[in-house]
Amino acid sequence: MALIEVDDLVKEYQLNVRHKGLLGSIRSLLIPEYTKKVAVDSISFSIEKGETVGFIGPNGAGKSTTVKMLTGILTPTSGTITVGGLSPYKDRKKNASRIGVVFGQRTQLWWDLPVADTFDLLKYIYKIPDNVFRENMELFSDILGLQEFMKQPVRQLSLGQKMRADIGAALLHNPEIIFFDEPTIGLDVVAKEQIREFVRTVNRERGTTMLFTTHDMLDIEKTCKRMIIIDHGKKIYDGTVEEIKDKYGRSRVLRVEFSEYIADVQLPGAEMIKEEGNKKWFEFQKDQTQVSRLINTLSQKYGIVDITVQEPEIEGVIREIYQGGIDLNETLSGVS
Amino acid sequence: MRNSGFLESLNVFYQYSKLSLKVMLEFKLDRSMITLAIFCREMIAVVVMLLILARFLHIRGWDMNQLFFLYSFLFISYSLFVFIFAGVRDFDQLVHSGEFDRYLIRPRGLLFQVVASKIDLPATLGHGVVGVILFMNTAFSVGITWNMQNILFYISVVVGGAVIQASIFMLTACMSFWAIRIENIRNLIFFNARRIAGYPISFYPAFIQKMLIFIVPFSFVNYFPAQFFIRKEDMNLFWDGFMYMTPVVGVVMFVVVSLFWRFGVRSYSSSGNALY
Amino acid sequence: MRLYLELAKKSFQNNIVYRADYFASLINAIVLIFVNIAIWKAINEEEGALGGLQLNILITYIVISFLMQTVYQMDEYFIEGKVRTGLISTDLLKPFYFRLFVFSYNVGSMVFKFIMQFIPAMLLSVFLFRLLPPFNTQMLLYFILSAILGYLVLYNINFIVWISSFWFYWTFSLVTIKDAAVMILSGALIPIWFMPTWLIDFIELTPFNAIFYTPILIYLGMMPEDEIFMSIVKQILWIIALFGIGHILWKRATKKLVVQGG
Repeated sequence: MALIEVDDLVKEYQLNVRHKGLLGSIRSLLIPEYTKKVAVDSISFSIEKGETVGFIGPNGAGKSTTVKMLTGILTPTSGTITVGGLSPYKDRKKNASRIGVVFGQRTQLWWDLPVADTFDLLKYIYKIPDNVFRENMELFSDILGLQEFMKQPVRQLSLGQKMRADIGAALLHNPEIIFFDEPTIGLDVVAKEQIREFVRTVNRERGTTMLFTTHDMLDIEKTCKRMIIIDHGKKIYDGTVEEIKDKYGRSRVLRVEFSEYIADVQLPGAEMIKEEGNKKWFEFQKDQTQVSRLINTLSQKYGIVDITVQEPEIEGVIREIYQGGIDLNETLSGVS
Repeated sequence: MRNSGFLESLNVFYQYSKLSLKVMLEFKLDRSMITLAIFCREMIAVVVMLLILARFLHIRGWDMNQLFFLYSFLFISYSLFVFIFAGVRDFDQLVHSGEFDRYLIRPRGLLFQVVASKIDLPATLGHGVVGVILFMNTAFSVGITWNMQNILFYISVVVGGAVIQASIFMLTACMSFWAIRIENIRNLIFFNARRIAGYPISFYPAFIQKMLIFIVPFSFVNYFPAQFFIRKEDMNLFWDGFMYMTPVVGVVMFVVVSLFWRFGVRSYSSSGNALY
Repeated sequence: MRLYLELAKKSFQNNIVYRADYFASLINAIVLIFVNIAIWKAINEEEGALGGLQLNILITYIVISFLMQTVYQMDEYFIEGKVRTGLISTDLLKPFYFRLFVFSYNVGSMVFKFIMQFIPAMLLSVFLFRLLPPFNTQMLLYFILSAILGYLVLYNINFIVWISSFWFYWTFSLVTIKDAAVMILSGALIPIWFMPTWLIDFIELTPFNAIFYTPILIYLGMMPEDEIFMSIVKQILWIIALFGIGHILWKRATKKLVVQGG
């Protein structure tokens, strides 16, 4: 049996309807109205131990509701979840000691106290044995660089430092599964990379299972092997990150820098999409046009200083999926 | 086994308190000002009572010392309650901010975490000092012999009173599992009952007396315990047994409210703070 | 002007959103009135000193006072919130007078409370507590004028306290201590005429009795007509003086903001 099994999961909410305008607000005051919203609509998947999975989807797609059900915060309307053989909401405490959760927008550190104080408290909350606590503290000091700000009040830390400390706090009790909810939100490139590197290290060395929800596709590309896309509460893709890039990112961009300005460049099989001084960008479909032929054509006709081929970014692919440009149901087979 | 579990929990509670105190020391000046402010706020009712009695000397056979003795129970037991249950008092913010979700993913009892995670020393002291001032000025002039039996009874009613107030607060805290903002509902239930209880309940119409005995049982926080000590005529309006029932009422309420709390948690788990 | 009316309307609507709050604070006021009346009845019963007419007047005093308190409740932490979040700097750049903005915000919620709380509670009180009507129509008009001035006195006292948030991180302590002073010295909880003479003399020197006490006395017809004029002038003078202090503090506060760059 897989570590996480989710079968036909459904979650419905009741929402308060509010009317606009002065009369409308008086009306809502006197006669409350409710509507039903299906946040998660029969989703099934399973995750094996040691996997790294990214959950993505537009805002309100149901991904954070799914994660809340996996962590035991919410109970499903119907369907089943087992995490390591336990039901997260029925065995809340047992499940809780085996998982770690990092909320990118909400810290669990005590705002006015040094990081070390929160860590000490967590040691008691999670009943962490002395030796495990010591080992982890050393490891985190090493790769997260916590020791440089361990004694500083949390309110004085930078966003990146806070996030590193928060990740450390969530990992302190050696959880089997870690949930990351927008772990890199608001961070600069260096801090993001540092966190991704740490995540990869922990996954490699401890075999910890990891689930991400994020808007940053680079997070997914750099840390996850598998990706689950959710939209309107439904699972619309479940497979490797490579596969989706390979199959749906068919277009490539050729960036060419010419030795002089050329007004009109003729390049069959490709289309110019951008121009800037002596530089021009051409888009082509990789299954229709070969790169080598394009380069040949160009170099025979014009003087070229530099030439590069740009792979599609996963972000563009996903954006296209959300906008309906790619229909996964039609093109993908074998998605369970 | 059960016992060691209890000691272990107590240790976690202690660790939480240590951090709360550390924060408090970090903002010594600010927290002292808050303490002073709470003291002033609580003194409003005392000063008003003082002004009324300076003019009229007694109300329905209760003189100033007796009224202040009656009042002192409210402050002392509130002080004890808020010392332990400040987290319950501020529970709505916890749910509102989504911080409660964090408690759900920790391997500890929810109520335990709510209670342990917060200590409000300014409120404890602000109310406590008013209570102690009133108590010290009246306890030895209203004709009470402070023998062992009376001292023990006094302690048990203060603790019982604190538990009663904690239960009422928890009940209103549970509301935030469903409603949007509960501040006013709580004020309505708790602080109004407390205000009413500031004077002997015999001053009020029968339905308010019944309300303070059976619905929001504040009469067991101060009126009946005070009657045990100073036995005024108006106690004839009520059953004698009420004077001894404060601890019982406390225990029963706490059990009932705990069940309601569980129900609330279950409801929260099904709606989450999507409500907010 | 239209802008500030819009702001007031927005704040009015904001008040409606919280359904539970609305009913609760209505009941809140009724309960408080009820308790106070019960106590005054108890006093009257034993002493008999109040006399029949006196009790009625006292009840009316208590009812009007509590209803006014409900309506005069302001958002004490609005400016503090703006300062702490730093939003104040952007608000100051916007094309409106910040102080008028805060004022309209409070007036909007005052109007809400007046329509949705004061009027129903007042009607209810007529039945429940046999509230006395205003002494006569003329006094009613004076009362309305004096009550509006009372609101402005309280608003300007409050504003001075709110502005302190530019110097103190938290204003809870100051706001609460100010509230305690207002509650006792304004005669909101016990008519000033029952207080010891030395305290009455002291209160005469403060703006506090201009908030609730003056309008209520006028309503009850307990203030001789020639004194009414003087009292209203006194209210106006206090408003000017307090506004002046608030103005100076405001100038310093904004200067401080500019120097520190928010």
